[in-house]
Amino acid sequence: MARFGTLNTAWMVWDNPAPAAEGAVLEYTRELEKFLAEIERRAFRIAQVALRDADDALDVVQDAMLKLTRSYASRPSAEWRPLFYRILENGIRDLQRRRTVRKRVMAWLPGPKEDPDNEAQDPLENVADAAPAIPERLMQAQAMQKLEESLRALPKRQREAFMLRNFEGMDVAETASAMACSEGSVKTHYSRAVHALREQLGEVW
Amino acid sequence: MNEDNDAFEMRSRVLFQDSVEGLDFAVRSRLTQARNTALDAAATRRPWALGWKMWTPAAGVTAAAVLGVALWMGSPLHHQAATLAEAQSNFEDLDLLAASDEGSPDALEMLQDDIDFYDFADKAANPGPAA
Repeated sequence: MARFGTLNTAWMVWDNPAPAAEGAVLEYTRELEKFLAEIERRAFRIAQVALRDADDALDVVQDAMLKLTRSYASRPSAEWRPLFYRILENGIRDLQRRRTVRKRVMAWLPGPKEDPDNEAQDPLENVADAAPAIPERLMQAQAMQKLEESLRALPKRQREAFMLRNFEGMDVAETASAMACSEGSVKTHYSRAVHALREQLGEVW
Repeated sequence: MNEDNDAFEMRSRVLFQDSVEGLDFAVRSRLTQARNTALDAAATRRPWALGWKMWTPAAGVTAAAVLGVALWMGSPLHHQAATLAEAQSNFEDLDLLAASDEGSPDALEMLQDDIDFYDFADKAANPGPAA
């Protein structure tokens, strides 16, 4: 009888696999959403520092999210972060290349030049920030502004290594995976970046 | 030097984190939209388009079949086979024609006429002694 009971249970599991599968999909979607929600703002700021443009940064982050969910969501969740940042860095690099080409072409073409400040503004951008602009906050914003300028002056790989290690808090192995290079290279790039930034910012920072 | 580096790293990290916390509503809203779009895209992906791996065997078989047909059409074997088939067809036509002539009542009748004629001609040429 016990044997029949086991068979019966097994048959029920075979016959109705949907609830378990649905639960797994739901759990997996939640995990993916949690990951993206946790990472999106930092990713946006990293892209913004590199691209100096909020709209471009948003586009690149959205593309990275789409590519991750479409192509790599089935990978273990521990791999998502380095994968996401690799996609993001590739997107940033592509956009920078396109900008360079566009700039060269526009320089040769007659007619009015493209003015990035003349683009249509999103009305939500003018919504006031809830936090008060106290002096300390202003000073921090200025310090961050200087750091961003110094970061843009760094070689790309050094900038990537610094932002992933310092801003995103990734360890050496994760950074190496995101940058598609060896751990030794990450250490070298990061060390040079810190040295160069300290020299540039120096006393005033 | 290391302590200075540590302090510098800590300060830059804190500044970055503050700038992240201070993102305005518009940016946060657009990031949420982007996230939802990405999650929707992942959820609505059709089963038949799950990945290139699924289509690899079918594509391989199709490519092999196309290649095989192309090679066979271009090879001398194809032309030789066509010539042989044509010759065989002609032979069969002749055979059928011959078979139909031999089997028909007209052919038998003609054969009977010929025998009578040859018998008459033989007798006319060699008249025997009168009995």
